[in-house]
Amino acid sequence: MIKKISNLREVLACAALVLAFTWLSGFSPGGARAAADNKAATTIEELTPSMSYKEYHKRYEAYYGDTTARMAEEGNPADFLLDDGKDLANKVEGTKGKSCASCHAKDALKLKGAAVKYPRYDADLRGIMTLALQINTCRRKQMGAKPLKYESYDQLALTMYIKSLSNGMPIKVSIDGPARPFFEKGKIAYYKRQGQLNFSCAICHVQYAGYKARSNLISNNKHHADHWPSYRLKWGKTGSLQRRFRGCLKNMRAKRPPLQSETLRNLEFYLTYINNGDLIQVPGMRM
Amino acid sequence: MPQIGRIKIRLPRTIRKGQVIAVKTLITHPMETGFRKDKATKRKVPAFYIDDVSVYYGGTLISHAKWTIAVSANPFMSFYVKADKEAPLKIVWKDIKGGVYEKTVQVKPR
Amino acid sequence: MKEMKDNDFSNSRREFLKRTGFVSAALLSVSAFSAFIPSQKGELGGFMGALGSGEAQAAPVPGGIKEKLKSIFGGRKVEMSHVVMKTPIIAENGAVVPVNISSDLPMEPGNYVKKIYIFVDDNRDPFIASMDLTPANGKAALSLRIKMRKTSQVRTILEDSNGKLYGSTKTVKVTIGGCGG
Repeated sequence: MIKKISNLREVLACAALVLAFTWLSGFSPGGARAAADNKAATTIEELTPSMSYKEYHKRYEAYYGDTTARMAEEGNPADFLLDDGKDLANKVEGTKGKSCASCHAKDALKLKGAAVKYPRYDADLRGIMTLALQINTCRRKQMGAKPLKYESYDQLALTMYIKSLSNGMPIKVSIDGPARPFFEKGKIAYYKRQGQLNFSCAICHVQYAGYKARSNLISNNKHHADHWPSYRLKWGKTGSLQRRFRGCLKNMRAKRPPLQSETLRNLEFYLTYINNGDLIQVPGMRM
Repeated sequence: MPQIGRIKIRLPRTIRKGQVIAVKTLITHPMETGFRKDKATKRKVPAFYIDDVSVYYGGTLISHAKWTIAVSANPFMSFYVKADKEAPLKIVWKDIKGGVYEKTVQVKPR
Repeated sequence: MKEMKDNDFSNSRREFLKRTGFVSAALLSVSAFSAFIPSQKGELGGFMGALGSGEAQAAPVPGGIKEKLKSIFGGRKVEMSHVVMKTPIIAENGAVVPVNISSDLPMEPGNYVKKIYIFVDDNRDPFIASMDLTPANGKAALSLRIKMRKTSQVRTILEDSNGKLYGSTKTVKVTIGGCGG
């Protein structure tokens, strides 16, 4: 009898705990989020940057020091990918017996400076063409080869190599003409609050850039698009900008669109546009 | 795909005689700790790491490093060498499964 | 009969406390986990994968860092000077922590730095790496990237040819699931 009671008590205690924690973990201001969504869909309020890039960089140096920069100088593990990318550019693949080098000269050197215009509007796609997507489109149409799987070793290597041909050149993305609506969509993606935490990209990287979140300094949105694909210490691997987007979205507890989906391509387009003028520096090395 | 034992060694572009130069080395190696579990097979991946690095300059052993599992995958190492003669710089990595990876670069002081 | 009952009661009471204690502790940890870092599980898995998930259960080296230092250096005193160690203050991935050691100690025949040691206090095996040097190196310096199990002190000790020891320590915070995605 007493044992039964104790069991009952136990069950009750557990139930209470479970309830308490489900409430805690599941808690999210659903109503507020919906309202913010509706608002973002119609108008975008541009936020004022918290500080200039210079000021942010000063804080970065004070907080982290120059470890990452020094490491990149010492030896970037992504250098191996760069060599492999060069080999891949000369490798004949597919049904038409071609390689990148067949059209774009040996080592694809004619593509020097090509990466500065990417992402760009593409009429056939009726959307934004990123460099990774362009390479795969080229492979399918011109070479008759299988597209490379995104974030695979070969795909990153080839993208990195072709982008590295434009090293030292300023990013020059155009949003004129038919590209405009996609730019606007990208902007909405950047400013739209989403996820359980109800953040947007802009909240952290515009409004609160240079402040701290979970013991990390939040980066300013300058120099966000000039060094990808990049080696990251956190991943211990090389990855693309879109993988980074997905990582951020995950931390915002938001829905993560697949790689090279329309949303992410538009977002990449917007972000690269606001980074216009930054010099391309591939491969990068980041924390 | 990346294979084991690809090596990069970087020296400064111009070397003066007697200058102390930084030698930067990178090698691809998984450096398995022996504690990691394979997600697919649920089995522990056996330890596989480089434990011995030797640096020869002009035939003589000038440095020798002992590593354990706690050196990161694709190990990077940089150290200094006094470039007082024109001689080959040979670096040899040895892992616990008997793999030997080596590369020689020529130090040409002016 | 009454005695039995009493006994039974005390037993079950103890059991009850034990059980609820365990259950709530388990719940607490699990729910706290899912409440605050639900989406980090993948990352954590990756991290553990990199560092070794089994490592968490593996027994630590008895004595840890103190024993290790004693076994290598005996009771010799370490002078905390002449060595500069650079590490990041925060590492989001404990599997790749850059360490850069340099020293202004002379490297001449007869008076040179013989060996550089790197230790991480809270790793299972605190000894990470060592490097023997000769005067032909010209400068006592070493850069490596190391693995760290958790937030801990990194220490380096330089031994010169006369048997003198020089050292430096730094603390590196290993933050799993920081804000960087």
